[in-house]
Amino acid sequence: MSSLALELERDSALTLSQAAIGCEFQIKQVEGAACRQLREIGFCEQMRVKKITNGRNMLCTVCGTRLALSKDLADQIQVVRVVPA
Amino acid sequence: MSEQTSEARVALVGHPNAGKTTLFNALTGQRQKVGNYTGVTVEKTTGEFYTPHGVRFEVIDLPGCYSLAPNSPDEMVTRDVLLGVQEGEATPDLVLCVLDASNLERHLYLLLQVIDLGYPVVTALNKIDQAEAQGLRLDPTALSETFGVPFVPLSALTEKGFVALKQSLRFPLPTAPDRHWKGSHELEEALTNLEKITGEAKLPRPAGQALQLLSDPTYSESSHLPEKVRSAAQEQGSFEANISQLRSEFVQRGVDAGLRRPDEESLQLTDKIDAYALHRIGGWGIFIAMMLTVFWTIFRFAEVPMGWVEAGQGALGSWVGSFFAGGDFRDLIVDGIIGGVGSVVVFLPQILLLFFFIGLLESSGYMTRAAYLMDGVMSKVGLSGKSFLPLLSGYACAIPGVMATRSIPSAKERLATILILPWTSCTARLPVYILLMPLLMPGAGSQALLLFGIYALGTLTALLAAKILRPRLGPIEPAQFMLELPPYQKPQWGFILRQVFERAFSFLKKAGTIILGISILLWFLETYPKSDSDDPAVQREASFMGMAGQVIEPVVEPLGWDARTGTAMLTSFAAREVFVSSLAISYSVDEEEEGAEDRLRDKLANAKRADGSPLFTPLTALSLLIFFIYALQCLPTTAVVRRETNSWKWALGQLGGMTLFAYLAALAVFQIGSLF
Repeated sequence: MSSLALELERDSALTLSQAAIGCEFQIKQVEGAACRQLREIGFCEQMRVKKITNGRNMLCTVCGTRLALSKDLADQIQVVRVVPA
Repeated sequence: MSEQTSEARVALVGHPNAGKTTLFNALTGQRQKVGNYTGVTVEKTTGEFYTPHGVRFEVIDLPGCYSLAPNSPDEMVTRDVLLGVQEGEATPDLVLCVLDASNLERHLYLLLQVIDLGYPVVTALNKIDQAEAQGLRLDPTALSETFGVPFVPLSALTEKGFVALKQSLRFPLPTAPDRHWKGSHELEEALTNLEKITGEAKLPRPAGQALQLLSDPTYSESSHLPEKVRSAAQEQGSFEANISQLRSEFVQRGVDAGLRRPDEESLQLTDKIDAYALHRIGGWGIFIAMMLTVFWTIFRFAEVPMGWVEAGQGALGSWVGSFFAGGDFRDLIVDGIIGGVGSVVVFLPQILLLFFFIGLLESSGYMTRAAYLMDGVMSKVGLSGKSFLPLLSGYACAIPGVMATRSIPSAKERLATILILPWTSCTARLPVYILLMPLLMPGAGSQALLLFGIYALGTLTALLAAKILRPRLGPIEPAQFMLELPPYQKPQWGFILRQVFERAFSFLKKAGTIILGISILLWFLETYPKSDSDDPAVQREASFMGMAGQVIEPVVEPLGWDARTGTAMLTSFAAREVFVSSLAISYSVDEEEEGAEDRLRDKLANAKRADGSPLFTPLTALSLLIFFIYALQCLPTTAVVRRETNSWKWALGQLGGMTLFAYLAALAVFQIGSLF
């Protein structure tokens, strides 16, 4: 069932702050108080994001842009791991 | 001759801040506010424009949106107009997609969504100059070939590329390209089914409707649609993830074809540098070392041009002086004007060097790393990295700093930032520091260290004040910090030099206007009323300035200052640099031998009290220095704080509080220092 597949995919999503360093992710959903601001700077659904460091302000790249992002904001970004083809 | 042809409707579609509204204004000539805030085009805005062939086009500026799967009512309007289900709105004949060339990847997805609806599209590749400045290499031809629509590079701000854009908006309209990607058999079948049903329901652009129904769950629930279409769409199930995956892959292909980032290796280099520059401990070491180097260089290299300015000023003084017989007019020109203004102008090289380095750090990309490092510190005092950039501008001048606090979302954090901001040492204090520092310690190295200490002291006190103030202003919200870290790049010399020249110009303008005026006034106050005696000391006592000095003397004496220093401090409330001119004028009337070209600081070093002891001991200099670090002697800042906080209470409280604090700090330094 396609809806089951969708559900499974949603379950496997994690927030950007939980994501592992050095891996590439695809943004599934941006939701929360700052979602508009996040979209403006490039965290749109479907975009690919790579996490570089953890910490109070984590570093990541999205659309070739490096960004520092506080944990609070990274919590509002749901991502799924991109499995290299 | 072509006759007046029937008009067409052109809709502008793009992300908020892609420059849609600027482009709309430029095309239609209709004045409309262009703001930084997103969603400035919430209302429907229309205008008209004539093609080079005289055809009238109606232009609609649709609300900015990030994608056609809407997240807000604005975005929903854009989607519904394009799908022809917005009440009272006809569908456009052509879509002008406005993309931000400096952020192309994020914008191409929206373009593809519009193409998928089956519209003829012209793409405006806006902000092309900005993209080129970032080192991006765009290939409009390759992009046009990939997406099947014309790409016109332009800059809406400078109207570069407008002729080409107008040429491409003309009859016959470009044909709509076919959908660029192909889905699975299942998906294609669902699309064909829905296309048939929406066609029967007389919805415009059935193929586009089918695609939207399958990719946007909010659309398949939309009340604008006939019940039959909705139920048919819901039967098909969701292909949302599937379609967006296919679109993303296509966009990636477009990016690969038409966009070269300077990066690949430059990004790797950035990674390597950042591993050190943003390191938790090493990063701070680099930051401090860099600042020390900057301050040391300012002292070391500015010596030479400062010597030229001083020599020029001395030569000018004696040359001009030789035209006049001795007398008040000659004194006014030589001591009042040339001496007063010259004493400030001499600091031009140092100020320019400081701005040169700020420009260098900014344009190389290091400045944002400093903000990133500072966020940790700022959060400890209840502020965030958002407060760092206004505070940083405060090192240049408090006024733009106070205005830059507008970007801080939290009102309380903003107020706290405004209140502490004047303690970040602005460049107007620099002449005073530079004048006083040699009295404290000789040598470029130790002076650089001292200057670093001065900046650090101001900054630390500001942060400490924030820590005390911030919780009293209101609860502290969790930090929401977001900062773009541009790749390190070669400095843009043109940009830096332009900034340095602008700064030089505004500094000289100030010297030529305010400081000139005050110098003349000060000279007058020093010279009149005339006494009968020829002794300059007696004359000074009798002048207006001497009288003011006697009033202020008891107040400043505990700080170790004499009456002249006290009056000079009073005059510096108009502008801090005036302190230097004021001292220069004060001490030049003392001059015994005419034409002596001693530097002002030598005069100060040799100045004596009535009892013959030296006036400017290191301790006095330190007490003055401390006063200048902390005092808010800048009436324009107070005016701006009043405007930004909309309260005289905060503005005057800040002025009074900082002056009192400065006085007490200088008092403590001098009194405690005198014990040893």
